[in-house]
Amino acid sequence: MPLLDKFQAVAAIRAGLGGDHNDPTGVVIEEILSATEGRVAGRRTILAGTNNYLGLTFDPACIDAGKRALEAQGTGTTGSRMANGSFADHTALERELAAFYDLPYGLVFSTGYAANLAVLAALLEPADAVLLDADAHASLYDGCRMSGAEIFRFKHNDPDSLEKRLRRLGERSANALIVTEGLYSVLGDTAPLAEFVSLKEQYGALLMVDEAHSLGVYGDRGRGVAEARGVLDQVDFTVGTFSKSLGAMGGFCVSPHPELDLFRYVARPFIFTASGSPATIATVREALRQLQAQPQLRENLWRNAHRLYDGLQSLGHQLGPEPSPVVAVRIGARDDALRFWNRLLEAGVYVNLMVPPASPDSHSYLRCSVSAAHTPQQIDAVLEAFRGAA
Amino acid sequence: MNTAPDDIEPRIIALLTRYLEPRWTADPSSRVTISGDTGLTSDLTLDSFQVMEFLMELEDDLDIAIDMNRLSDVHTVRDLATVAVQQTA
Repeated sequence: MPLLDKFQAVAAIRAGLGGDHNDPTGVVIEEILSATEGRVAGRRTILAGTNNYLGLTFDPACIDAGKRALEAQGTGTTGSRMANGSFADHTALERELAAFYDLPYGLVFSTGYAANLAVLAALLEPADAVLLDADAHASLYDGCRMSGAEIFRFKHNDPDSLEKRLRRLGERSANALIVTEGLYSVLGDTAPLAEFVSLKEQYGALLMVDEAHSLGVYGDRGRGVAEARGVLDQVDFTVGTFSKSLGAMGGFCVSPHPELDLFRYVARPFIFTASGSPATIATVREALRQLQAQPQLRENLWRNAHRLYDGLQSLGHQLGPEPSPVVAVRIGARDDALRFWNRLLEAGVYVNLMVPPASPDSHSYLRCSVSAAHTPQQIDAVLEAFRGAA
Repeated sequence: MNTAPDDIEPRIIALLTRYLEPRWTADPSSRVTISGDTGLTSDLTLDSFQVMEFLMELEDDLDIAIDMNRLSDVHTVRDLATVAVQQTA
């Protein structure tokens, strides 16, 4: 088949998403009015699908830090850290992230996706075994594939399913890596990390937790689901992103293992890509300070999350299994979800449309993400839009 | 364990039949007679989620762990039996 022919199928899928409707994959936010509002198709729109959990994208201190870095260090690093050298802010951020987690080692990557690729490809070799939660993010799956390791999936958030697979691996389980997330980004459910830690200890495996959506959201100090479950000190590799609660772009890994520092020499997604720009790194450093200095952001976030979850539940919607800043409304059929999503957008509310295979099962979802910066009135307006669109 | 694909194929067919029974009951016209040559996606119209869901049921039934990397070779019931046998060897 000619190389380009396969795109005809992609074109057909895209055409099916558009038609008389807006294309959910092509939304343009014409003007960003605040952390929670933008202009879409000329209409003032509440942004309820941005992962801007702490609402820090317009934080004055973060913006000021970015401006100062831009003026002092220029627009970009123009290369990789291995070839061109690190800027002092990159290494400072690594030290600050490690200190935030009370761990000795930290490593910063250009994106969260690259962080997962890099950590998994550095850790694993073709002879190794990795046990991956069935609903794990594509970046985790891609990292496992990139490593060449044998990949065994266990049922989502199911310790029994994980235990069976560890047992089936026999002696190899002592050299296996368990990979899970903290907060799952589509349904807003959290991993049973205490049970996973217990299994990791029992079988002698290592545990990697992606806290991309839970950094700044869970735990007394905002360090994620592992902190909230009291097992943070038993996680071998915690990875995360700067593009959600920290309002910028980039990724990281922290670990108690000194080998993390050697990943710089073997992790291709670290070695062969340009490093984060000075302004980006500066805003992340400031956002990390704000995350720690303003615990009220987390309180606001959870107040809003419960307001939306409870409100949607009372409207009769079928939601994810637990209240969280990710609130998924199950619609079922893709075309119904597409129509519902369009009506919400026309009512001035932007959420995410998740359809198979991007959704974790055969159903379609309208995924909302709540921000600390949402006002109660905005949450109520989102609820009203859901009421009207049903 | 000395197991051949021919030994496992009937178990896969039985398990697939049980997995698909609710769908076939709801829509009798979709019922298919499954053989070794039956395609998981082409004939049974399983989507990617259903294939993965069924695979984990098969793993538990046979008490094996199947390497995901092997699935690119799997199109039919017989392909799946072959991979399952290799994972039990």
